[in-house]
Amino acid sequence: MANIASDVFFAALPELNQRLAAKEFSAEDLARAFAERLAQLGPRYNALALPLQQEAWRQAKEVDRDLKRGRTRGPLHGIPYGVKDLLSFKGQPTTWGAKPYAGQVFDYNATVIEKLSDAGAVLTGKLAMVELAGGGGYRLPSASLTGPGLNPWDRTRWSGGSSSGPAAAVAAGLVAFAIGSETSGSIVTPASYCGVTALRPTYGLVSRHGAMALSWTLDKLGPFARTAEDCGNILHAIAGGDSKDPGSAGKSFYYTPQYTRPLKELKIGYAAVDLDARVEAPARAAFQAALEALKETGVELVETKLPPFPYGPVLSTILAAEEASVFEALITSGKVDELADAAQIAGLKAALEVPARDYLKAMRVRRVIQEEFSKLFAQVDALVAPGRAGGATKIDQPLDRAAAPSPAGTPQGLAGLIPAGNLAGLPAVVLPCGFADNLPVALQLVGAPYSENLLLAVGAAFQSRTDWHKRRPPGL
Amino acid sequence: MKLTRRQLAAAVVSATAMAQTSQTPVRPTDELQAARERIKANGETLAQQQVPMATEPAFQFKA
Repeated sequence: MANIASDVFFAALPELNQRLAAKEFSAEDLARAFAERLAQLGPRYNALALPLQQEAWRQAKEVDRDLKRGRTRGPLHGIPYGVKDLLSFKGQPTTWGAKPYAGQVFDYNATVIEKLSDAGAVLTGKLAMVELAGGGGYRLPSASLTGPGLNPWDRTRWSGGSSSGPAAAVAAGLVAFAIGSETSGSIVTPASYCGVTALRPTYGLVSRHGAMALSWTLDKLGPFARTAEDCGNILHAIAGGDSKDPGSAGKSFYYTPQYTRPLKELKIGYAAVDLDARVEAPARAAFQAALEALKETGVELVETKLPPFPYGPVLSTILAAEEASVFEALITSGKVDELADAAQIAGLKAALEVPARDYLKAMRVRRVIQEEFSKLFAQVDALVAPGRAGGATKIDQPLDRAAAPSPAGTPQGLAGLIPAGNLAGLPAVVLPCGFADNLPVALQLVGAPYSENLLLAVGAAFQSRTDWHKRRPPGL
Repeated sequence: MKLTRRQLAAAVVSATAMAQTSQTPVRPTDELQAARERIKANGETLAQQQVPMATEPAFQFKA
């Protein structure tokens, strides 16, 4: 077996492709190295839910046979990856991060796993997550079957949720990329906290067949990876219509950033207040510098603000009503009490009592929000804001006390962009952009539905001028 | 270091047990009451939103 140098664990897809093609190592060598590293270091960050070494080696041998015959299936061929443990993998446990489902086994693969398998990617393990993706409203990072997600940059800090394992595993070089999910913030938050690039696709672009449902009208699956370019190549492989997903938009995605409009023609909306009053003091300099770097790509930054809606209450109401229906049997059977987080248990129980009137009102307001975003995207091509207000929170810090409220009279700016973007089904790219108190911080770029190529083009231009996405956690 | 699945499961259980002991003790009835109040407050916020009568809910949600 070839000796795999540590830089390989942090290489982006083009470099891995090139080294595989040069026969510097085989796909099996690569899969074994990544799988062993995941099994060894994954528990250190509570990032591993289930190792799949045997399956990975079998799949990698197939890749080597293909390569020997001169066949290649594209940029994911032979690339080791992991999936959040809410995606079913035939014959293996799929726990959804929750004790009541610890023994759950499905007899089919999630569509995303099938698509990645078709692209030649090698699944090396399932990755940890907040129980039931945290829909009930958890108080502590410990709300998981695998314990609190620990941040590779500082193990006293949280890796974020609910896609804690995917973000930590990519940050620590345990997988080359990972698939996570977002209902409201579960990709943006852990990617920001762990300093990795990530993509939340437009609602309906990626099939959720075989994924745990939390909210049928909000759930999305997306990649965590090294670069914006990697995210584009992964989305290319996993996007597409699927009759097994009732929410599927039936659209494909072709990663073609070269055909987007020139960056100098793009207007990107931002709000000065987001980078000043609304971020934590240690992070301000990093965000200001990141905005300057973004300007250097040629885009025009224009001051803007979100239309004023109560995004949090609208999203919470829709999520509560839908998750209560999804998990009705769990809640009414009393097995919900087996969950780890008391606030999550209470949240799920209370969610059964959301009045139909409130759910319908929230869904009507949501339509108005979508219409208002259409108007906003007639004025700007994308929005940029901090992914989170600062670095990762402490592992024992209650999440309902995580952020101080903005002072009264603080302008709207882009506050609430995470729930707003999710309500409108908008895509987002997360770009690491610096450090605050030695912890990563990141920007989120949010665009109109199906504007992934534009966001990724801007992201790639930003990453060509910065190296934050190349930084490695201490000791790794 | 190689971990067997059995060793991994043991590590998971101990980590979870540690995590559970670190939670702030709050009575379940208080938690439930707080959760109900949040839902009620959300409903009150929604009630203040004016929506044109013709606006249909975002069923068949499409971005």
